[in-house]
Amino acid sequence: MSAFVTLDGVRKQWSHTVAVGPLSLEIPRGEILVLLGPSGSGKTTVLRLLGGFEPPDAGRIVVAGEDVTAVPPARRRCGMVFQHYALFPHLDVGENVAFGLTGRGTNDPKVAEVLALVGLAGFERRRVQELSGGQQQRVALARALAPEPRVLLLDEPLSNLDPSLRERTRRELRALIKRVGITTIFVTHEQEEAFDLGDRVAVLQAGRLEQLATADELYEHPASLFVATFVGRANVLRGKTAQVLGAGPGQVLVVRPERLTLADAGVPGVVRERRYTGAAAFYLVETEPGDRLEVLARPEAARVGDRVYLEAVRVLTFPEERA
Amino acid sequence: MNARLGLAARAAFTLLLAWLVLYPIVIVVHDAAESDALATFVSRPGEWRVLWASVWISVASVALAAAIGVPLAFLFEWLDFPGRKTLGSLIALPAVLPPFVGVIAFLFLYGESGFVARAVQRLLGLGQAPWRLQGAGAILLVHAYSMYVYFYLFTRAGLAKLDASMLEAAQALGAGRWETLRRVTLPLLRPSLAGAALLVFMTAVGSFSAPYVFGGGFRVMTTQIVATKLNGELPLAMVETVALALVAVLGFGLLRRTEGDDILTALGKGTAPRRRPIRRAGVRTFATTAGWVFAVVLLLPHLTLVLVSLVPYGTWTTETLPPVLSLVNYRRLFSEAERLRPLVNSVWMAAASTCAAVALALVAGALVGRRRPWQFRGPIEALLALPWALPGTVFALALLTTFSTHDPLTLRWVLVGTTVLLPLAYFVRSLPVTGRAVLAGYRQLDPALDEAAASLGAGRWATFRRVTLPLLTPALAAGGSLAFVAALGDFVTSIVLYTPDNRPISIEIMSSLRVSELGVAAGFGVILMVLSAVVLGVGARR
Repeated sequence: MSAFVTLDGVRKQWSHTVAVGPLSLEIPRGEILVLLGPSGSGKTTVLRLLGGFEPPDAGRIVVAGEDVTAVPPARRRCGMVFQHYALFPHLDVGENVAFGLTGRGTNDPKVAEVLALVGLAGFERRRVQELSGGQQQRVALARALAPEPRVLLLDEPLSNLDPSLRERTRRELRALIKRVGITTIFVTHEQEEAFDLGDRVAVLQAGRLEQLATADELYEHPASLFVATFVGRANVLRGKTAQVLGAGPGQVLVVRPERLTLADAGVPGVVRERRYTGAAAFYLVETEPGDRLEVLARPEAARVGDRVYLEAVRVLTFPEERA
Repeated sequence: MNARLGLAARAAFTLLLAWLVLYPIVIVVHDAAESDALATFVSRPGEWRVLWASVWISVASVALAAAIGVPLAFLFEWLDFPGRKTLGSLIALPAVLPPFVGVIAFLFLYGESGFVARAVQRLLGLGQAPWRLQGAGAILLVHAYSMYVYFYLFTRAGLAKLDASMLEAAQALGAGRWETLRRVTLPLLRPSLAGAALLVFMTAVGSFSAPYVFGGGFRVMTTQIVATKLNGELPLAMVETVALALVAVLGFGLLRRTEGDDILTALGKGTAPRRRPIRRAGVRTFATTAGWVFAVVLLLPHLTLVLVSLVPYGTWTTETLPPVLSLVNYRRLFSEAERLRPLVNSVWMAAASTCAAVALALVAGALVGRRRPWQFRGPIEALLALPWALPGTVFALALLTTFSTHDPLTLRWVLVGTTVLLPLAYFVRSLPVTGRAVLAGYRQLDPALDEAAASLGAGRWATFRRVTLPLLTPALAAGGSLAFVAALGDFVTSIVLYTPDNRPISIEIMSSLRVSELGVAAGFGVILMVLSAVVLGVGARR
C-alpha cells in the first residue's frame, strides 16, 4: 500500500511540558483513519497540523506526493468539518455550501449534488439557524466536500448530537465517505465511534502514537498497557492475583471481563455486585487479597454474596511502567 | 397587588413617563406647526444649508470614526505586541470623559493659541498662528477624535465574540486572508459595526460643544437653534428643533434597520481566535510604535488640560510652553466661595437628577421588568429610550417651551427661570441609560428567586429589599454613574436652561474662556475629568 497522506516526524511544541510528536503516520488513499485518545492527547492538534492551521515545529506533511508542510490552509485542499460545524450564520445553506466553489455561486450544480449526497436536497434556501443539529452536521459535511478536497478532516463531528442519533449518523457517515472514496482522518475520544467508523485506529496519548492498527488488532493485541485499558473494558491486576492468573514478576496483568469465567476451580472470590444488562450481567468479584475484578457472564450465573472461582481464558501482560 | 390595581399602576406610570418625555416634544411640534415660522424656515436657504450641514457632518463623522476605530480594534484584538493591554484600555478613555472636556482640551492643544500651533509657529518663525482651528474640518477632527471609541469598543467586542473556527472553515474552503475578511469576518461584525455607526451618528447629530467652540462661522443645527433662541426668534428655534429631531429619528430608524441583531446568535459556542504574536521584527516594531504613538496622541489633550490648569492668569503670552506653573488656580477655586459655586451646583443637580432617574427606572423595572402580564411594557420601554434618540438641544428647547406658561389644566407650570428646570432636563436625559441598565438587570434575575423568597415567608417589600435590590446593585451603579457623569459634564442643555442661580461647571468654563482665564477654565476641566473618572470607576466595581 502506498501512502496518500504522510506525516513524517511531525512535532509541535506548546510549552516545555506539552508537546505533540514526533509523529509519523502513513495513510493510504481512500482509508478512514481515526485518531483516538483522551482529551489532551493531541489528536485535535494532529488534525489541525494536517489542515494547516498550526505550523509544525519539525517534520514534513506530504499529501499525494506534494510536500504541503508550508502550504497555507487556503491552498491545501483539505476539507474540514469542525466540532461545532462553524457554519456561517450570515449565509443560507446553499451559500454555505457554495463558499468554497470560487466564483460560481449557489447556481453551481455542485451545490445541489453534494446536498443530495448528504440527503438534504432542496435545502439551499434554508437558514442554517433553522436546521437541527444533525442537519447542520450534514451541511458542514456537504460544504467541506463541495470543492472536492483531497483529504477530509473531521473533528469530533458527532459529539454535538443526541446519543440516540449518533449511532445511526455514524453508519451513514461511514457509508457516505466510502461512496465518495475520499481519504479521511476522523478525531474522536469515543472508542465505540472509532471502532465503528475507522478502517484503522491510531491511539494517541500525551502527544505520542501508542498504536496504529485495526480495531480487532487493538482490542486483541494492544501494544501497551495504556491501549489495553483505554480501548475496551479491562481489569488491571498487580500482585498475587496477577501472578496466579499468569503474570511474571514485574508484570502487570490485564484481563477483559468476557475472558474471565465463573468456574468450579481457580481464583476464589465473593460476588459483591451484579449489574444486569439484559443479554448478560457484569459481576464484581472480590478476591482474597482484595482485588476487584469485573466478570461478564450469563445473567443467571451467580448472585450477590456467592462464593465463586475465577478462570481466565486469555490474559495480556505488560511490563510494569516505571513512574 | 391584584391584577386590576397592577394594570392601573402601569397605566398611570406610562402616562407619567409620557408627560415627562413625550409631551414636551408634542408641544414643540404643535407650536412649531402653529406659528408662521415654518414659512420662514422653508424660505430661508440658510436654514436648509445648516440642516444639510448637520446631516453631512454626522455621516462624515461616522466614516472617520470607523476609519480610525475599526483598524485599531483589529490591531489590538488580533495582534500581540508589547504594551498591548495597557494601551488597549488607555485608548478607550475618551469614551468615559465628558465630551465638553475633550473639546476644551483639544482647544488648548491644537487651537490657534494651543501648544502645537505655538510650537509650529516658533519652529517656522511665523509671525502669526499657522492655522485657525475652525470650521467644518475642525468639527470633524474633534468628532473623529472623540467618537472613534465607539467603533473601537464595539468592533473589539465583536471580534472577541467571533468563533475562530469560522475563519478556519473559510480558509479550509480556499479563502485567503483578505477574502476571509471580506466574506466572513466583516459580515459577522455587521451588528457591531451598525451599532457603533448608530451611536456615532446620534452623538454627532446632537453634538453641540464641538460646533459651538470650533464652528466659527460654520453652523450646524444644534448651534443654530441656540443662536436663533438668543436672537429672540423662539418660534423659528422651535421649527429648527423639529427639523433636527426629524433628522435624528430618520437616521435612527435607518441605522436600526441595518443592525439585524439576530445574526450573531451563533450556532456553536466556539472560541475567539488566538492573538497572533507578530513574528516579523519590522512589523512588530511598527505595530508597537503605532500603538504607542496613537495612545499618546489620544491622551495628549487631557494632559494638556492639566498643564494649562497650572498656568496663573496673565503669565503665559508668547512662549511655546508656559513659563510659570503653580497651583494658584486651584487654591483660588477652593478658597473663594463664589468660584466654587458652579462645582457645587453641578454636583447637586447631577446627584438629584441621577437619583430621580434611578428611582424611576426601578419603578419601571418593578412594573414591567419581568413578571407577566406584559401590558404597557412596550410603551414604557419606548418612552424610556426616547430621549436617547433625540439631541439634547431638542429636549432643552422642548422643556423650555413646555414650562414657560402657567396652565395647570394642560399640566404646564412656569419653571423657566427657576433652578428646577435644568436638573429636570438632566433627569429626562438620564432616563435611557438608567432605564436600560435597570431593565436589563431585571431581565437577568431568575424569576424563581422571587418565588423562593415568597416561599420562605418574605413579603413583596421584603423580597424587593432583601433579594431584588442587592442583585440589581451592579446595574444601578453602572447606570447611575453614567447618568451622573453625563449630567455633570453637560453643556448642551445647560446653555439653554441655566439661570444665574444654578450656573453649572460647563457654563463657568465657557465664561472663563471668554475672559481669557484659561487656567481657571482648565482647572474646572480637570476637576470634571477627575470627578467623572472616579465616579465611573466606582460605578464599574462590582
